[in-house]
Amino acid sequence: MQLSFAVRGTVWIIIYLFFILAPLFALLVGPLPPTRDFWTEFSVAIGYAGLAMMGLQFGLTARFRYVTEPWGEDVIYHFHRQISLIAVGLVIAHPLILFAIRPELLALLNSITAPWRARFAALSIYSLIALVVMALWRAKWNIRYETWHLTHILLAAMAVAAGLLHMVGWSFYLGAPSKRALWIGLTMFWIGLLLYVRIVKPLFMLRRPYRVAGLRQERGDSWTLVMQPEGHPGFRFSPGQFGWLTVFGTPFKITGHPFSFSSSAAVEDGHVEMTIRNLGDFTSTIGTVPAGQRVYLDGPYGAFTIDRNPADMHVLIAGGVGITPMMSILRTLADRGDPRPVILLYGNRDWDSITFREELEALIPRLRLTVVHVLSSPPEGWTGERGFINAAIFQRHLPPPYADHEYFICGPTVMMDAIERALAELNVPLSKYHSERYSFV
Amino acid sequence: MRRLVADKLVFATAAIVIVMAAVFALLRVAG
Repeated sequence: MQLSFAVRGTVWIIIYLFFILAPLFALLVGPLPPTRDFWTEFSVAIGYAGLAMMGLQFGLTARFRYVTEPWGEDVIYHFHRQISLIAVGLVIAHPLILFAIRPELLALLNSITAPWRARFAALSIYSLIALVVMALWRAKWNIRYETWHLTHILLAAMAVAAGLLHMVGWSFYLGAPSKRALWIGLTMFWIGLLLYVRIVKPLFMLRRPYRVAGLRQERGDSWTLVMQPEGHPGFRFSPGQFGWLTVFGTPFKITGHPFSFSSSAAVEDGHVEMTIRNLGDFTSTIGTVPAGQRVYLDGPYGAFTIDRNPADMHVLIAGGVGITPMMSILRTLADRGDPRPVILLYGNRDWDSITFREELEALIPRLRLTVVHVLSSPPEGWTGERGFINAAIFQRHLPPPYADHEYFICGPTVMMDAIERALAELNVPLSKYHSERYSFV
Repeated sequence: MRRLVADKLVFATAAIVIVMAAVFALLRVAG
């Protein structure tokens, strides 16, 4: 029997805590070294727990669909970022507490005279600090995503390995062979997760390639990549989900790019489409992809889908290229002959840059669909909505009670924040609106 | 919604880990 997402999510939280706390308390089993004061033992405990949390970060980003499904990949990455600050804080607090209670230990900061076990501790902490600083300021410092990604992985592996060497070198708790084996085994498991993502998974993807069957130029400087599975049936996805795309190179390439599927999920032949706007980075090369090019897709991922949130009426709110998952939802609903009403509130800069403008018109007779265009730079004589989507626009176009509908929001972060505030103004409970924020840095 | 739950989980995890580290230390000190 399929467990509900809530139960599965809870089970994974318990497993997550178990993998942090069980290896820590396992240190108390069997013969113990001499007792020290409370603060020394406390600092050691948070050091061990912090390292375990760092190791588990490899699991959080390993894209295990069964693990991420209850939460959605975007939320897992959000948790990954937030919890890493806690883990790094704990690891750094470990020496700080020791320095505070035993100032003579400050001499260990001199890497020339310090023993190897202290040098490994310093290497681990410096790697963690570099890792966090680069993650927080990557965009501001204009570091290329691909460069940052590779550095991030290397620093993380170095921090965890050096942390373990520090613990083993100190040999206080890990003096016992069984406890040493447990922590070495755990670290190997964490690094193994990294190898799984970077070697094993790409090997599977290599055997399941896709072929570019076509490329369509869309309004709004966007391109639709049509991909056909080659020698396999492809995968089934739910409308609104996304996949990681590798266009140039093999699946072993460090950086894939996440894009929503824009095609109908109801197709039988496994073909999928992604609509990608030229944002000046990797996306600017999509228009040059030749037909027949081999590409790799890892998916489907994401909890942003109508299939998980049954509703009497769907309200889709899109900004710019945020239309892509909505297009998949609308095409799928049309193919399924869904009779429920759908309202699409679609914000764009101007009339000419509305991606899928004509197809949306064509979908109206196939669905109970209302499309409301909201333009920030409307043409002369425009009688429709202008400006940005807000609570007043909701009130003009949505039937009350507003809390009865399910809201799906996709667009720039600023827009999604504004929409969520507008929905809160209308007393729509949080559980009724769904959004996915692509920020994997 | 899912994000807010995740934020709460971060705080809960931090609190649990710190409390359990204190429990670990107390167990050691208590012998």
